[in-house]
Amino acid sequence: MSAEIRQDVADLIARARGDAILPGAACGPACEEALLRLEAYLDGELPDVEVTAVADHLTACFPCTDRASFEQALRTIIRRSCAEQAPPGLLERVRLRLEQA
Amino acid sequence: MSDSPPPTLTDDQRRTRFEAEALPHLDRLYAAAMRYTRNPADAEDLVQETMAKAYRSFHQYRPGTNLRAWLYRVLHTTYVSMYRKAQRRPQESPQEEIDDFSFYDQLTQAGGGSAERAVLDAITDDVVKQALADLPEPFRVAVYLADVEGFAYKEIAEIMDTPIGTVMSRLHRGRKALHRALASYASAHGLLADAEVEEPS
Repeated sequence: MSAEIRQDVADLIARARGDAILPGAACGPACEEALLRLEAYLDGELPDVEVTAVADHLTACFPCTDRASFEQALRTIIRRSCAEQAPPGLLERVRLRLEQA
Repeated sequence: MSDSPPPTLTDDQRRTRFEAEALPHLDRLYAAAMRYTRNPADAEDLVQETMAKAYRSFHQYRPGTNLRAWLYRVLHTTYVSMYRKAQRRPQESPQEEIDDFSFYDQLTQAGGGSAERAVLDAITDDVVKQALADLPEPFRVAVYLADVEGFAYKEIAEIMDTPIGTVMSRLHRGRKALHRALASYASAHGLLADAEVEEPS
């Protein structure tokens, strides 16, 4: 689905729910509800009932999906950045310590 | 099952099990130690001390429970006993108003989708490492354990020995502060040309 169509669908759903539609931001009460839970949602820490609500909202709301993907992209970058290998020799030094223990 | 007392191991069995199960975590523990200590020499010392301590107390580890979380718990307590005592400065926290910051909002103000790829591409590993290193320790560690190691809130609470609510607040504020630092970097490199990213005062 193209971004425009997704946005139209999101607007229709938002109108049906009585949410205000702000141009560009599409930020109604439904978005606020979802964004409040976004961090815990991405962390996999939301209770199941709330997961469904946030997932449903993200399916329908392009701006919130976009925001969620950006947050996810930042997490991916942070994870990638910290991949590090122990310096050569550390494993041997640790083994030596264990022998002396 | 996990309630049964840990089996008594002979020294040889303990050594073999420890080498097979704990030592494969060495690279990850070193990366974590780098975030804690922020320099390679101290990180090596911390990992060696952690492994020695974990080996000595390996009888307290319950087989079948999460060994990785247990090793990070040992790393955390070892760090606290080796280094935090030496730090005389109080535990700072990121400033209050940081809760409102949104990197995404900065980005969309600066031109949205087309800017996003350029901004994400510009954030190199070293930029992230430096931004993490600049966070106060409890925030840095919480963000690292969640975003890099993928630990659950409950596991982070156990590793850092804090209530779960504290973990959530440290994570939230730590991420905001980290994102602000990354946005400042993007802004300084002309990638958020139209947006003003306030420098932390």
